[in-house]
Formats: sequence, structure tokens, C-alpha cells
Amino acid sequence: MRGVLLASLRHHTRRYVAAALAVVIGVAFVVVTGMLTGATREGLTADVGAPVAAVDHVVTVDDAKAASNLLDAGAERGIPALSLGYAMETVSRDGVQVAASADISEVSLEPALQWQDLQEGRFPTAPGEAVADVNAAKSTDVAIGDVLRIGTGDAATDVEVVGLVDSPAAMGASLYVPWQVLEGFRGTLWVDAVAWGGAPELATDIVPGATVESADDWVAARQAEISRGVDVLAIMALIFVFIALFVGVMVIANTFAILFAQRMRDFALLRCVGVTRRQLRRAVRLEALALGLAASALGVAVGAALGYGLVALVRHWHADMGSAAPDPLWTGGAFVIGLVVTLLAAWLPTRSATTVPPLAALRPDTGVDVRSAVGRWRLGFAGLFLAGGAALLAVSVVSHTVPVMLAGGSAAFIGVLLLGPVLVPTLIRAVGRVVGDGPVRQLATGNAVRNPRRTATTAASLLIGVTLTTAVLTGLASTRTELDREMDDEYPLDATITAVDAPLAADLAERAGAVEGVAEVAALDGTVATIGRIEVPLVGIDRRPGVVRGTEDLAPADDVLVLPYDVIEELPRAMAHQAWKGREVTVTVGGHEHRLPVEPSSGWGRAGIVSGATLAALDSSPQPTAVWVRADDGADAEDLRGDLAALAGASGAGLDGGYSNRAWVNLQVDVMTGAVVGLLAIAIVIALVGIANTLGLSVLERGRENALLRAMGLTRSQLRRAMAAEGLLLSGVATVLGTALGLAFAWIGVEVLIGTVVDDAGMTVPVAQVAAVAVVAALAGLGACVVPARKAARVTPAAGLALD
Amino acid sequence: MTTTLTHQTTAASARGLTRTYGDGDSAVHALRGIDLDLPAGRFTAIMGPSGSGKSTLMHCLAGLDAATAGTVTVAGRDLAGLDDTALTLFRREHIGFVFQAFNLLPMLTAGQNILLPLELAGRAVDRARYDQVVGVLGLADRLGHLPSQLSGGQQQRVAIARALVTQPDIVFADEPTGNLDSEAGAEVLGHLRRSVRELGMTVVMVTHELEAATYADDVVVIHDGAVSAHLTDPSQDELVAALRGRSA
Repeated sequence: MRGVLLASLRHHTRRYVAAALAVVIGVAFVVVTGMLTGATREGLTADVGAPVAAVDHVVTVDDAKAASNLLDAGAERGIPALSLGYAMETVSRDGVQVAASADISEVSLEPALQWQDLQEGRFPTAPGEAVADVNAAKSTDVAIGDVLRIGTGDAATDVEVVGLVDSPAAMGASLYVPWQVLEGFRGTLWVDAVAWGGAPELATDIVPGATVESADDWVAARQAEISRGVDVLAIMALIFVFIALFVGVMVIANTFAILFAQRMRDFALLRCVGVTRRQLRRAVRLEALALGLAASALGVAVGAALGYGLVALVRHWHADMGSAAPDPLWTGGAFVIGLVVTLLAAWLPTRSATTVPPLAALRPDTGVDVRSAVGRWRLGFAGLFLAGGAALLAVSVVSHTVPVMLAGGSAAFIGVLLLGPVLVPTLIRAVGRVVGDGPVRQLATGNAVRNPRRTATTAASLLIGVTLTTAVLTGLASTRTELDREMDDEYPLDATITAVDAPLAADLAERAGAVEGVAEVAALDGTVATIGRIEVPLVGIDRRPGVVRGTEDLAPADDVLVLPYDVIEELPRAMAHQAWKGREVTVTVGGHEHRLPVEPSSGWGRAGIVSGATLAALDSSPQPTAVWVRADDGADAEDLRGDLAALAGASGAGLDGGYSNRAWVNLQVDVMTGAVVGLLAIAIVIALVGIANTLGLSVLERGRENALLRAMGLTRSQLRRAMAAEGLLLSGVATVLGTALGLAFAWIGVEVLIGTVVDDAGMTVPVAQVAAVAVVAALAGLGACVVPARKAARVTPAAGLALD
Repeated sequence: MTTTLTHQTTAASARGLTRTYGDGDSAVHALRGIDLDLPAGRFTAIMGPSGSGKSTLMHCLAGLDAATAGTVTVAGRDLAGLDDTALTLFRREHIGFVFQAFNLLPMLTAGQNILLPLELAGRAVDRARYDQVVGVLGLADRLGHLPSQLSGGQQQRVAIARALVTQPDIVFADEPTGNLDSEAGAEVLGHLRRSVRELGMTVVMVTHELEAATYADDVVVIHDGAVSAHLTDPSQDELVAALRGRSA
């Protein structure tokens, strides 16, 4: 039997290419994921302990205020203390923005706590000095001796760069300044712990309720936390691996089914000469095992090579990535998975193949006409799954429960897959009829539906990818619509330039309007008021300016003062309390006191808003005080902010606004969309390999038939067209069905997921994207039949008729 | 006027027809310079033992295979100058086929199989011709059946109907009775002869069965890639003698 096994493996190697390819892709996917995860984890957990190496304890605090108290106490008593956290601020140099949002952490003035690795220059010795991360400095062209301005408007502080440092990924920042400076950026400062060199009791005395841990425990906890974060990413990636492998199983099972059908006579002959059914089954399964072993080994090799390449590539841009090394667990797991998937996929086809009676070899007909009936059981199960799935989905929409939705979606999808052998041929016939009834199309339609189960499996593999991609794209687009709506209200203005001490230059609005990426500007006049010792610019608005996004109109009623939350926070305690309650505050303009009711709000920078009439009453000659800007859709956030910051900086004004946040959120959604589509693309590629494979093997099977058609007058190009039409019908029907299912699933997903947050969640269909997926999938189906079609057309009629 | 005359009386002819497979030492000379004229309106059988080259001869005459050397003329047209597409279109217009096995497309009904060549050519169906052909072959009540629901003899009759429905200049039949029992075989051969007598077709049949050859008007005997005899209306004895003379 071994001789037969080896001979048949040798003989059929080429026909196993597609199945092997599916396994290789799946296994390589797992190995690459493992290597990327490992390298990321190594990079992120390395040197997490560096900042706390010099102290015994770490105090976890709730806010920057508590950290401030601890650090102040430490300074008073000579106890080493260092904040662990960062502020996000704009950094500019000579009025030109260097970074729109740089992470800034503390560098201690105490040499023992200066944990960063000094590369050049020296550590700061005074509050006005800073050190920059060497990589960040390189990319932003910052050098020792540069004076950087951190923040805009009032809070802006200048520091001189005196050194460049290297710092590990997990704890690193772009710029390090002493606490005295960092403390000033209250608005964006976030501190989660303080490295504490004193007694734990003292820390809890100063900040009651704070958690004090030993430095070692804290480092271990941080590392575990980072690992968990990486693991979550790995698990997410594994979901896509699972999808790809599921598609792989279908492709492999189909390949085996077709190959075994073609070899039916060989099997029968073997049975005739005395091979038992058991021996035959064993031989065929050993063949699958050999394929699985070879393909998995190849997959591991390909995956390792890709992994090394990818990690090296990422490291090139991102120094925080660790080094690549194949993880034994992941690699072993990938190998086993590849093997199991192959054996699993071969199991069923093997059973039916080996039931062939020996007599089959003696039958005279040479044509292999494989037909598969659709069992009643299968239809019954399909109905059961569809009905159950639909019921669960309905329940999930009503109750907003995600697990029920997932269960219902899976069940419904399995139902559709089971129904495939009935559904897909019916659709293909319908589409084929719509397209026309020339001989080529008739032939294509007839061939496409000839073997319902084979057709259904081929279509299903593509269906999975298209359904998921469409659902994810639509779901994310709907999420984006919802986020946009929320952000419109949260950030009604893309950018604001607000006067600080002096009025704005008269032509600032005009110049801002000329900045690339600016769609519209509104110039607002105003005055400067003193409210409880602090100076606040007030602008007058009569009606909602066109630059405002969202539903709020921002134009207050007469004699009402709208104050930003931040400004209210700065007021003396009693006044702030009054303001929060919406009562009156005293506003002094030009030496005259006015009492105005207050409405707290935010979204337009550091200025109060009054109506035009109120402004006129406060100040008879208002000056240009603010310029509000609306950005073009898709304008580059960094460039826009940089250009406007240059304008604002030159006139000593403050820059604010939500466009950067908006752009950042949009970028997150884009990145997520790209990642998900990219990962699903792997499943689609495997499915296309499957289509090419099915068509390719069918060509072998239909050799005589095609020769007959050619003899009777089917031209080469007609035959090629028929094959192309067959591929297109197959991929087209899978695509149409997948798009419909994907949209249905997306609608349910939106109802369940976004519906829990907002009542009137609407589904946004990204028409262009969904259409692109459909066109790409359908055309790829066409592409998949190029090689088989050429092969089919190359055979001369006489040679085809002589085929055995 | 010679060409016109040839056209009228000769359905297909070969001059110096040579077909060689492979090259060098491993070359197989299937046909060695065959000269042959097949008259129109007659039922000709090409006979010979297996490996004699009779199937290759038929493939070359029918434009299914290209000659290595020499010329093939069918319906007055030299096939040598035609590329694959032109050849295919030529076959479609002028030649009909009946093969030994695997003659019908399994997913089409008998009626659809018969009309397939017309559909491929995009030609309108001549209803009268179709009914006539179906009537002559006795298929009227079988048209809606799939090939798998027909007997072997019925399948071959469908194949003959398909070959005749386009009114080709010449019909090639390759061992049309090879897969049939003698009764069904006789029936099929009877139908082929009737199509020559009643419908005025030209039929060229390749066979190695003496019994089948007796239905033919003329018999061409091939041996080792060359024509060894071309008999017109042979008696059984003449035929046997011609075959035996060669195999001795």
C-alpha cells in the first residue's frame, strides 16, 4: 500500500497545491501573529521598572492634585519623589509648531531619580530646563540649546533643551521637564503614580486612601497589565486566524472531495485487486496526513520568515518593538492546527470516497459525472439553524445583548451555509437567466450548478469573507456617523484663535481664512473682562456662526454670560460655586461692574460668550477678539494646527478647538477599518484560491466534454468566456449574497451595540466601500479562472477526446 | 470546371497527408502520406486494425488535429491555412460528429443536445429540418430526457441527430457502435445509412468491425498509416479479402 500511496502523492502533487496553499497561509498567519505579539510584548515590558529603580515604594494616586501634594511634601522633607504620568501639550519653537500633541513627563532635578538614559548633553538642574527623547528629537529636528514653548495662550511655558535621553517604550515620553513646569499643564496632565522614597505611612498621611506598593510589586503588576493588553490584541488576531482557517477547511475539504471523485475509478480498481476498504481509507488519510505535515511545515517556515521580516520592518520605524523570535508555543500550536485542519477537512470526503464499489472500475462509461444530492437532513438542519438564529437575533435586538446576537448570527450563518447547495444553484440559475441566454452563458450556468454541493462550498468560502467584510465596514461606518454626531456637539468648533492680552490683528481672520485646509472663518469682536481677579476675553455672538458644528447654537440670550468650565475652575472658590449653580457673577469691563447670570459650557477656547447687544452694553468699542475656524473635511490636522498655531503665536493668542481630536478619532476608526479589512482579506484570498482550485479541477474533469464542445464548433474564446462566466457567476452570487447578509448583520449589530447607547441609532452604509468589496470579490473570482480557462482552451479537440 | 466538379462529387480529400507525433527517435508516424478522396452523398467506412492510424486520419480530415505535412480539403476548403478559431467556425458550419462514447453533454436534455451546434453557431433553428431529423431517428418522444435517462443506442441516435441537424457537408462517426450491443449497433448503423439515402448526407465512419463496414457503400482500408485499399460497393468477400490480404 505504501508504494501506491507514494505514487499517488507524486502523481497528484500539483492538484494538491491549492489545499496546501490554504494550510500554508493559515499556519503562517498564526506564526506571524505569535512573533509580532512576542516582539511587541518584549518591547513594551522591557525596562518598565526603570523609573522606580531608585525608590522602595510606588504610591498610586487618583489625580494630579494628590501627586502634587506628595511631590511638594517630598521636596520639603528631602524625600525622593517622582511623578509617573504625562501631559499632552502643543510644543512650538520660535512660533512654529513642532508637535501638535507631545507627551511630556517629569525629569527629576534630583540626580538619583534621573532614570532616563542620557545620550547627549546633561540633565536639567533648574525648572527652565528640559531633556528630549532622542528619537522624538530626531524626528522633529530638535537639538540641544533649542528653546521650546510648551502649551498655548496663558499656560505657555518656555524651556531650554539641555540634553537628549533614551527611554523605554512603556514609560517613555517625547519631552521631560521638571515637576514645577509639568504641574502647570493641569488641563492635560494625568498622573497615575508617584515613585516614593519615604515611608509608606507618610504617603498615606499626605494622600488619604492612596495605595502604596513596593516598587517590585508595582513593576510586576505593570508588566502583567501590558502583557494582558498584548494578549487581548493577540486574541483579536486569532479570531481572524480562526475565520481564515474555517475558510481553509472548506477549500481543503472541497479539494479532497473533487480529487477523490476524479480518482473514483482508481479506488475501484484498487478494491478490485484486493485492497480492503479499511486499507484504502488508511491510504487516503495518510495522504491527507502527508499533505498536512508538508503544508504545515512550509507554513511555519513561511510564517517565521514573514515574522522576522515584519518585525524588522516595524523596528525600522518604531524602536520600541522587541526582537523577533519564534515562540515555541505559538509555532507548535500553528503546526498542530495546520495538521488538524487538513485531517479534519479530509475526513468526510475520505469516507464517501472509500465506499466506492469495486465494480465501478469495470463500468464502461469514461465520463466522471459527479452529482450530489441535497439530503433532507441537511435541509432540516438548515431550517432549524435559520429559524433559531433569526429568533435569537430578534431577541438580541430587543434586549441589546451581545452574546445572544453573536449566537444568533453564527446560527443564522450556519443555516445559510447548510442551505447553500439549494440556495446557491438557484441564485446562479436566476442570475444566469437575467444575464442572457446565449450558448456560452447557458453552458456556464449549467456547469456552475452541475454539482450543487461543490458549487455551494466554493461559494460559501468567499461568502464568509464578503459577509464579514461588509458587516464590519458598515458597522464601523455607522459607528463613525454616531461618533461624528457626538463630536459635533462635544467639539462644536474645529479651531479657535482667542486673544489673550491684546486684541487680535485686524487681518488675522483673513489670513486664517487663507490657510490651507480652512473651509470657513468667523471673526468675532469682543472685549476683555475681569471676573474675580482673572482676565477673560468676552466675545459677542448674535446668531449662530456658520462655522459651528453640531446642534448647539452657542449664541446666548441677552444679558447671559456663557463661561467655559475651565475658566469657572480658575475663579475664586465662592464665585466658582455660584457660577456652577448658574447664578450671577460680577463682570468688570472698563472699570464698570455688571452682574450677569452664568451658563457653564465649553468647546470654543478660553473666552466668555455674550449676545451682541450685551457686548455693546459692556463695551461701546469692541475689538477683534476671536477667530473661529471650520476645517475642510479631510484637512490634515497636524498641518492645520501648525499653520494656525503660527498665526496665533505671532499675535500672542491662544489656539484651541476640536479638529485634532476629531481627526484623531477618525484616524482610529480608519486604522481599525484598515486592520480588520486587511485581516479579513486573508480569508478572502484563501477563498479565491478555492475558486481557482475548483474551476481548475473541474477543467480536468470536463476534459472530454470540452473537447466534444470544441469539436462541435465552440471556439477557443467561447470556451474561455464560458469558464470566465462560470467563475464570475460563482463569485458574483457569493458576493451578492455576502453583501446582503453583511448588511443585515450590520443592521442588527448597530441596533444591538450602538442602540444601547443612543435610541435613534441609524445604519450608515458606506456605499463606495461596500461596492468596492463587491467589485473586488467578483473580479477576483474572474481572475481566479484565468489560469483554468487558459488551460481548458489550450487542449485541442483531438487530444481532449483521447483523454482517459 | 474541374474544381466545381470536385466540389460536387468529393466531400473531403487528402493529399500526401502525414501526421507524426513527437520527434527524433521517439517519433510515431501515425499517417505516412495518405492520398484519399471521399465522395459526397455516400457512406464510407474507414477500416483498419487498432493502431493503424484510422482515428488520426479521421481527426485530421475533420480538422480536429493538424497535419504535419500534406493538405486536407473539406467542402472545397483547404484546412491548412486556417487558425484555430477559423477551423472551429469551419467545423461548426460544415462538419458533424458522432463519437464512440461521451457523446452528449450530461446536463443538457436530448433536445438541447441536438440543438447545441446551432446554438453555438448562433444559427436559427430550421424547424422542419429538426422535425425531419428527429423523425428519421425516432427520437420524438425522448427529447426531454437527460442522457443518463437514455439507453446507449438512444444516446447514439441523439448524437446522430445532432450531427445531422446543421446539414453539414460531411459527418464523421468515430466507432459509433463501439459501446453498443449488436442489436443497438445495427439500429444505429441503419440510421446512419438512412441519413445518407433519405437525407442525402455524406457520412464517413471509422470502425474496426467488419459487421459495421457492411452497412457502408465504400470501404477504405488503412494499414500502418497508409491506404491499402479503397473499395466501392464491395461484396462481403471482397471486403474480407482486402482486410485479410493486409493482415497476412
